[in-house]
Amino acid sequence: MSRFSRLLLLAAACVLSALPIAARSLQRGGAAPAPAANAGGTTARAVSAATAFLATLSDAERAKAAFPFDSPQKTNWSNLPTGIYQRNSLRLGDLAPAKRNAAMAVVAAVLSANGYRKVNDIMNGDEVLRTGGGGQGGGRGGGRGGGRGGPAFGLDEYYIAILGTPSPAAPWMVQFGGHHLAINVTIVGASNVMTPSLPAAQPASYTLNGQSIRPLGAENDKGFALINALNAGQQAKAILPSRVADLVLGAGQDGKTIQPEGILASELTPAQQTMLFDLAHEWVGILNDEGANAKMAELKGNLSRTYFAWSGPTTNGSVAYFRIQGPTVVIEYAPQGNVDHIHTIYRDPTNDYGAGL
Amino acid sequence: MRARLLTLTMALALAGVSREVSLEAHRLDEYLQATRLMVSLDRVTLEMDLTPGVAVAPAIVKTIDTNGDGVLSEAEADAYATQVVTSLVMKLDGEPVQPRLDGRQMPGLNALHEGTGVIRLRASAALPRTRTGDHHLFLRNTHRSDIAAYLANALVPDDDRIGITGQRRDAVQQELTIDYRVSGLHTWPTSLAFPIGALAALGLAALALAHAKNSRATNQ
Repeated sequence: MSRFSRLLLLAAACVLSALPIAARSLQRGGAAPAPAANAGGTTARAVSAATAFLATLSDAERAKAAFPFDSPQKTNWSNLPTGIYQRNSLRLGDLAPAKRNAAMAVVAAVLSANGYRKVNDIMNGDEVLRTGGGGQGGGRGGGRGGGRGGPAFGLDEYYIAILGTPSPAAPWMVQFGGHHLAINVTIVGASNVMTPSLPAAQPASYTLNGQSIRPLGAENDKGFALINALNAGQQAKAILPSRVADLVLGAGQDGKTIQPEGILASELTPAQQTMLFDLAHEWVGILNDEGANAKMAELKGNLSRTYFAWSGPTTNGSVAYFRIQGPTVVIEYAPQGNVDHIHTIYRDPTNDYGAGL
Repeated sequence: MRARLLTLTMALALAGVSREVSLEAHRLDEYLQATRLMVSLDRVTLEMDLTPGVAVAPAIVKTIDTNGDGVLSEAEADAYATQVVTSLVMKLDGEPVQPRLDGRQMPGLNALHEGTGVIRLRASAALPRTRTGDHHLFLRNTHRSDIAAYLANALVPDDDRIGITGQRRDAVQQELTIDYRVSGLHTWPTSLAFPIGALAALGLAALALAHAKNSRATNQ
């Protein structure tokens, strides 16, 4: 074979071998996934917690909690309460205290300390909703809040599912949620992601054990702080001239990418960019530090293609919607007509359910 | 406004105490109509999610259940879905375009009455083969504008020869104009990258083998 022929064959081999790399790069918006720091610690803790939890269950309970990784259960989540939406997984209210604690230990193992607190604040808020009290609720007792077969609220009405076998290498997933909460953490080896997830709140502010709780208070306050840090020209780009009545990509809208709008993050000052990423971290940082740090590095790498959009008044305490959107992130914050009822969503159009891991 | 408040109050009273929490938790007296549009070179596809709030759900159910038998038949669901799609006004570069219903999902009556049922529609319209340059696709949703809360958004086109350059809406998103540009460059859609790349590689390999064969023949 001549030298020219060998060169041609080499070129063909190069084209073939480059195709998968090019495709992945296109899919991830050109940003290489950042490696996780201290890789594997979270996975080991999560595997241990999930294995221990599953071991506490009876066969009947395990049948409700364990699903194949590619089960349709993966997309079976909603912001809606029990009685209106059927989650088909294992209900906390049906578990003995030790089993329930083991379930919550799985949630704690995959989230950060702040994320776990946020999840509990959302759940306690739903308990307040169930009891109808002005911040006096929060106990674990009580039956289904809806009664008479209607929607049910409260701490008992949260569900857990483990999809796949907890493993240090193979893909698996922790799904936890109920009314106003959906947490989907997919783990593949040392990597993990928490998209899509839906943290929401009603009431958005309540008192528990003498403490004032705002489950999504930081999200609200940091959003208003950012929009007010923009100058008039920047606000003119960021603020949409129309009302955004709800989440655009809420539950049931998997696999969709809307056209981004608003101001580009690259048009913000460094201080404003810091505020933007600090705001995004309120969602990203619900996840354990390893996963969250990798995600934040990815977001910062896509600065020039990340947008911030706002709709509504800019005075804190008003009903206002905002969105952060980049190649690998969509975050929406959408009050439901009043400031005491908030829906939000956190997605990665390239990596929901760990599709890109 | 007063009539709307009265309707809401009556709905709350009828719902009873156990429903109060549910009512607080979800949209009450608005009919959320979310539309997403995907533009391609020769077609626009629409997805619509329609969610009547609990206070307006009885009126919507009444509109759908035309014979009033308390059952939403397939024919009634089809007729309502068609009615919604027909109420859309669309124009491409000022010329009328008429979307047609492609499919629909109707939730159960209970979910509709709870204010959580979502009516899902899919529709599409053929577009004249768009030429290189700037285009403007206009949508106005006129369905139940008396109680509607609208969302209207362009989805990122699958075809990278089409780039959205802007979205213009009225204050309530009843109207959306999508400004987009069709590029004259013959760039490959991402979905074709693999087959085209593979063909190129095979072609190179065939060329190399043929060249090697010729070289051998010449040497002999």
